Amino acid sequence: MLRRMDGSARSKNNVKVEGAGHQPMIFAHGFGCDQNMWRFVAPAFQADFRTVLYDQVGAGRSDLSAYDPAKYASLEGYSDDLIEIGRELALHHAVFVGHSVSAMIGLLASLKAPELFASLVLVGPSPRYINDGSYVGGFEAAQIEELLDFLGNNHMGWSTTMAPVIMGNADRPELGEELAASFCRTDPAIARDFARTTFTSDNRADLPRVKARTLILQCRDDSIAPTSVGEYVQRSIPGSQIVFLDATGHCPNLSAPEEVISAIRAFV
Amino acid sequence: MHSAPVEDLEDLYENAPCGYLSMDTDGRIFKANAILGHWIGFNGGELIGKRIQELLTIGSRIFYETHTAPQLNLQGFVNEAFLELRTASSEILPIMAFAVLRRDPDGRALFARLAIVKAGERRRYEQQLIEARNEADTEKKQSRALEAATQDLLKRERETSELREQFIAVLGHDLRNPLAAIRAGATLLSKEPLSEKGKAILEMSQGSVVRMSGLIDNVLDFARGRLGGGITLNRADGVELEPILKQVVDELRVGMQDHEILTDFALTQRVNCDPIRFAQMVSNLLGNALIHGAAGQPVRIDAATKNGELEVAVINSGMAIAPQTMERLFQPFFRGEVRASLQGLGLGLHIASEIAAAHGGRLSVQSSDEETRFTFRMGAPSD
Repeated sequence: MLRRMDGSARSKNNVKVEGAGHQPMIFAHGFGCDQNMWRFVAPAFQADFRTVLYDQVGAGRSDLSAYDPAKYASLEGYSDDLIEIGRELALHHAVFVGHSVSAMIGLLASLKAPELFASLVLVGPSPRYINDGSYVGGFEAAQIEELLDFLGNNHMGWSTTMAPVIMGNADRPELGEELAASFCRTDPAIARDFARTTFTSDNRADLPRVKARTLILQCRDDSIAPTSVGEYVQRSIPGSQIVFLDATGHCPNLSAPEEVISAIRAFV
Repeated sequence: MHSAPVEDLEDLYENAPCGYLSMDTDGRIFKANAILGHWIGFNGGELIGKRIQELLTIGSRIFYETHTAPQLNLQGFVNEAFLELRTASSEILPIMAFAVLRRDPDGRALFARLAIVKAGERRRYEQQLIEARNEADTEKKQSRALEAATQDLLKRERETSELREQFIAVLGHDLRNPLAAIRAGATLLSKEPLSEKGKAILEMSQGSVVRMSGLIDNVLDFARGRLGGGITLNRADGVELEPILKQVVDELRVGMQDHEILTDFALTQRVNCDPIRFAQMVSNLLGNALIHGAAGQPVRIDAATKNGELEVAVINSGMAIAPQTMERLFQPFFRGEVRASLQGLGLGLHIASEIAAAHGGRLSVQSSDEETRFTFRMGAPSD
């Protein structure tokens, strides 16, 4: 899957810019998937915004040769990529929409390059997944180790993303063509590293420093970022708002895109 | 006559060769077959109402939430998803799941059907593959590290070698310069009117300068050899040996009045050799004979070219060298029993034998109560 790269962030992160609006809205996907995560949400904003989608290095159609284990051992490596994209596209006062771990990636970027982002929409954010004293992240350290073990031994799991061309999708013809390309393609070795970076991160201390307007979207029954964590984020970021979605699970952008769209629309 | 078997669809579902479950878009199970329940220790009814996430181990739950479920939603199906179920008795059951999403006419997801097969063997095989690959990776890394270390070592060795050459050159220069000044001073002094005692002292000093000069040559050569440089030759064709031999003898005569030095040269041929090294070798052999030879007895040096061979022999009289001593004569730092004032470093014979070897020749020794004879032989083809 090596492609010729021109060294720009646009090709490194497979950046896609669309939309007729002026204000930029940049969407970032989390661990385990790629920019397709936003395919039911981003189009709704293309009339009023300039939408930007991208793949984190290691996911989707990003440039795998750009992967540097040292750089991406902390979320800062990913947030530096985001800043690079923002500067290359000359973004100003953008709306950042980040899912899962990318909520923290965008938050870090807004601290380092405040001019890029006017507001943050954090979908299922967690500043720390591992319980710590009275803080409930949702996981014990041993459970995270179990997760990392599982992912480390699950190369075949990641590789199953090459899908047959046609399969029972007569009812969704718009998906038909893209089936061969597959979704959420992820390099197994990078995924293992990304899991470690994600699930061992601790960004609680960064929350009170956030200056951008912030909206948190919280699902019910989210086994990765439980409601108490969403509430913790809301309490810790000055002036932030939280919207509790009716959707369950960790990916409302897929399972309940209308809810996500209207919550973002009401906020921006 | 057998009648064709008839399939019982209810039984086919419940006891299919794979597990089945149907779940809503939240992952909540609303139908599951008996086999699946049997595998994980629940009866079919107990599974109803549970979310699939609850049945997964923590690792595969996160994998499911972040990768499998989004994929199912986006593409409408998932093939070969490797997951792990947690059984009622808390054991791990590795499975491979195939899922298809059913949607309503507007494209909204309604529910998903999963077929589940056990994948323990495949899992083990996969783990072996991963281990083998990790091992290969480790070996590759190790061999790269080894290669890097070797390169590093080579680089350091080259640096050390340069440093050594510089050190030896500087040391030689610094030691020889003051010695040359003393030698020049003594030569000037010898032209001044001196008392008999003064003359004797001067001659002894001049002898010491010669010995000192030989010692310095030997020490530097030894250092170079020991540190890896080896004896290097600057061979020339058509070297006339007699003048070289005479000069060596003249130098050593100074300050060595104890011994007469007799010479017998029959050199009819010029020789291919390094003249400076040749002189050093002869000087070492002669110096050794002068020190160890019985006092008052002459030391002799014979040199001849004959039948394509050069032979130089240095002979002194005195006690025979013991056989066990003979073996060690050419080893560095070997010193025989002599007066302390005459004792050197024990490098002279060692360096002489090295020079002999470098010339492709050989240095040998014979010793009896009559005489001790060091003989150097090398090929000297006539032109």
